[in-house]
Amino acid sequence: MKKVIIQQEAIDVAKYSCQLGSDADGAVVTFTGRARNMSGDKAVEYLVYDIYNGMAINEMQRIVDEAMERWRLGSCLVVHRYGKLAIGETSVFIGVSSPHREESFASSRYIIDEIKHRAPIWKKEYYSDGSRWIEGQR
Amino acid sequence: MKIRVKAFASIKDILGFDEKELTVSDSISVSDVVALLEKCYPGLKTVQDALLYARNEEYCRVDTELADEDTLAIFPHVSGG
Repeated sequence: MKKVIIQQEAIDVAKYSCQLGSDADGAVVTFTGRARNMSGDKAVEYLVYDIYNGMAINEMQRIVDEAMERWRLGSCLVVHRYGKLAIGETSVFIGVSSPHREESFASSRYIIDEIKHRAPIWKKEYYSDGSRWIEGQR
Repeated sequence: MKIRVKAFASIKDILGFDEKELTVSDSISVSDVVALLEKCYPGLKTVQDALLYARNEEYCRVDTELADEDTLAIFPHVSGG
């Protein structure tokens, strides 16, 4: 299974987690990114994610393809939210499975790092006294 | 020729639109379009060094030439995840 999903509704981590793996897989690793309540010393009230839908799907699909070429994975699922997120909600879910744990750990790390650098998605933090777009590392 | 410009995140705020169709001369490059936009939206100049571009949903360089019906996306460095 290889799938990339973007969605506005809340990510059901349990539902997606149980889609991962087969009898050939001895390891399943999941990563869940969540909306944090602090940004530096500022309290965050909620987040809004802007997304370039078609390009984001293509870029994340490419990242998943790269991971599956590089490591022997049984399944790979990436789900990213867009729109408004309350604090504590899941912004991104990555799930991979493989025969052995090394592939799952390494590939899930690769996928989230590449998404943060390449997927055209932007986060805006809202505070009690304003808001700010967050720009990633150049 | 006609191109479509899409803007995201802080660039959308600076330009005041998320999508716009422009009529431009043939053989125009991404940097030419950005220069045109800067005339109408001076705020774009202040973030010029931090811009990324995509032509038809693929990252591209600032010297990329555009063709009729192309979509040029302009946006800041990404911050998903």
